[in-house]
Amino acid sequence: MPTLHVISHSPFGDERLISCLRLLGSEDGLLLCGDAVYALHDGSETQRLLQAAGLGQRLFALDEDLQARAITGGLAKVVDYRAFVALSLHYDKVNSWL
Amino acid sequence: MAKSMLIISRQAPWNGPSAREALDIALAGGAFDLPLGMLFLDDGVFQLAPHQQPAAVQQKNLAANLQALPMFGVEALFACQHSLALRGLAADTLALPVDVLDDAALQALIARFDQVVTL
Amino acid sequence: MKFAIAVFSPAHAPSSRRALRFAEAVLAGGHEIARLFFYQDGVHSASANVVAPQDEQDIAAQWRAFIDSHQLDAVVCIAAALRRGVLDETEASRYQRPAVNLPKPWELSGLGQLHEAAQQADRLICFGGD
Repeated sequence: MPTLHVISHSPFGDERLISCLRLLGSEDGLLLCGDAVYALHDGSETQRLLQAAGLGQRLFALDEDLQARAITGGLAKVVDYRAFVALSLHYDKVNSWL
Repeated sequence: MAKSMLIISRQAPWNGPSAREALDIALAGGAFDLPLGMLFLDDGVFQLAPHQQPAAVQQKNLAANLQALPMFGVEALFACQHSLALRGLAADTLALPVDVLDDAALQALIARFDQVVTL
Repeated sequence: MKFAIAVFSPAHAPSSRRALRFAEAVLAGGHEIARLFFYQDGVHSASANVVAPQDEQDIAAQWRAFIDSHQLDAVVCIAAALRRGVLDETEASRYQRPAVNLPKPWELSGLGQLHEAAQQADRLICFGGD
């Protein structure tokens, strides 16, 4: 039963992204929103980490948070709230890393 | 058939009410006989550390409440092996009987449940 | 499809606004919201006493308006609310506190309501932490 994991904390100085990537199933998805989109910042260590994680089409980022921070989606598929709702139904469950 | 819920508790015990409020979700579900599991991950494993003295920070004994979980029908208790090792906690000294799982087993665990709440 | 949406953060947190925008998208997509459940600091999203700065979004007011206009079931966890000083008339009276700051449309209730909603819904989604 694939899970959509949602992270909203900055990955810098926070354990959530690292722990999530360790527990991510081979069919699970990851949606970055809020400060978690900083993980996609060009040239960052976390961008390299996400690249290495090989999520392919299973990595998503919320459009408004990328725009607010002037970060391009890059590796991630950019989604709006309508698509966020659709994703929550496409995956069997949503696990938000509060 | 009732949906199963995994509660993942990631906060250290004396870091505000989060640990207690994660446990309360489990106890409430247990009281309704719902199929639940509880996983201690990241700093959440510190909730399981032995010999804690919460009275020193004027807190209630969380361990005593954790020990009530099986009485509420929540017997599926797990801890992340990596989180324990990183923090120097030995699996055989923990204050609560939990299944210690590696990352692969944790992936399988999460996949098994109908719903997950991580706090 | 039915959604149960749980909010764990106060009105000024980005995750409370995000939860509201998600909830709006759920309804716009033709789906239902079985219940909104406010837990931990999410009880502050229900506070009637929040005064948002004039040049900022008033998310507490937007939650109220959203719940009212769609007649949604919006529950605030009583244990979390008491601890954080969010009280309706009954509780303020019971505990002899000077202020009532939890208005309709919210109802105070227990975590059983979160579980009930989770059982009834097709999806449970939580927002909070930031």
